[in-house]
Amino acid sequence: MTRLITVTIAAVTALWIAGCATMTVGSHVERGLNVSQYRTYDWGFPDALPISDPRLERDPFFQDHLRGAVEKAMAVRGFAWSTDQPPDLLLHYHANITERIDVDRLEARYGYCVTEGCSVPTIGYEAGTLVLDVLDARTNRLLWRGWAQDAVKGMLNNQDTMARQINEAVARMFAEFPKPL
Amino acid sequence: MRPFARVTVAVATALALAGCATTNTRSFMERGGDVGRYRTYAWGPHAVQTTGDPRLDNNRIFQERVEAAVELQLAARGFEKAVEGPDLLVRYYTSVEQQVNADGADRPFVSCEGCRPFVFDAGTIVVDLIDARSQRLVWRGWEEGSIEGVIDNQQWMEKRIDQTVARIIEQLPRRIGRVS
Repeated sequence: MTRLITVTIAAVTALWIAGCATMTVGSHVERGLNVSQYRTYDWGFPDALPISDPRLERDPFFQDHLRGAVEKAMAVRGFAWSTDQPPDLLLHYHANITERIDVDRLEARYGYCVTEGCSVPTIGYEAGTLVLDVLDARTNRLLWRGWAQDAVKGMLNNQDTMARQINEAVARMFAEFPKPL
Repeated sequence: MRPFARVTVAVATALALAGCATTNTRSFMERGGDVGRYRTYAWGPHAVQTTGDPRLDNNRIFQERVEAAVELQLAARGFEKAVEGPDLLVRYYTSVEQQVNADGADRPFVSCEGCRPFVFDAGTIVVDLIDARSQRLVWRGWEEGSIEGVIDNQQWMEKRIDQTVARIIEQLPRRIGRVS
């Protein structure tokens, strides 16, 4: 019985650590924005910042799948992709990967300091941030920025995982997109 | 009465600090500097640099909130925004980095049963006042503190920017012989 509990705790802890970086999303919107005045959009060139990671920037599968997911989300909201007329909106995105740390929970469970001061054990992981900017095409002003952050482990070498994470990121990001007044 | 009042102020300050233990507001003043002799200001050239957080890089919505808060606080101190020939140039920097809060787990020879060390996002806003003529830094104020979860929530972020900038500019020396 004790053994079963121990195994269960270990399994739960392992799951918890694996999921330590679950996807978080957020967005910023220009004050008083009325999206119903915009009808069409096109893809624009990204700014120099934030910096995109070449592992994602040069991955055609990532590019295609992300664009497809965003175009679908825009279509659902009634925006048309305009390629012949000047668009109302410009979209661009950045896919950034940064080294982040978290407290090593497995080590910290035995946190008993027997020397003259201990350091907190940490583990490093790679966190991806997908930033999507929506700009007014005429004024070039940022109207809306949405983002999603998650650990990229297991995503860079697995297209199924990548597709799933992109879909979740875009869906949850766009859930925060302002509704027409 | 006077010592009593001073003690009250000290206690109130201690309580205020305890209430927001993770923020740290400080400033530097140029030796012999006197901000009282400056009247007008303008924004200096905006530095294009990474904040360390892709959510804030090139984010005009964030930047405009910081600028509006600085303008509001400078106006409250009697500084006017100049159209041309300003006395001061104002610049600001923002950065985000991860920090570890050991929650006591790093104390020597102590068992750490209830300790819960955690990693959090620490944010810094730096405001610089520069003499427009000599291009010398006259005053620098900044605040550093935990902003875990703040950027993802725009309303919370805007409130934090307003409060942080108010605390930073609060440290500017008051003009002598003038109630501001």
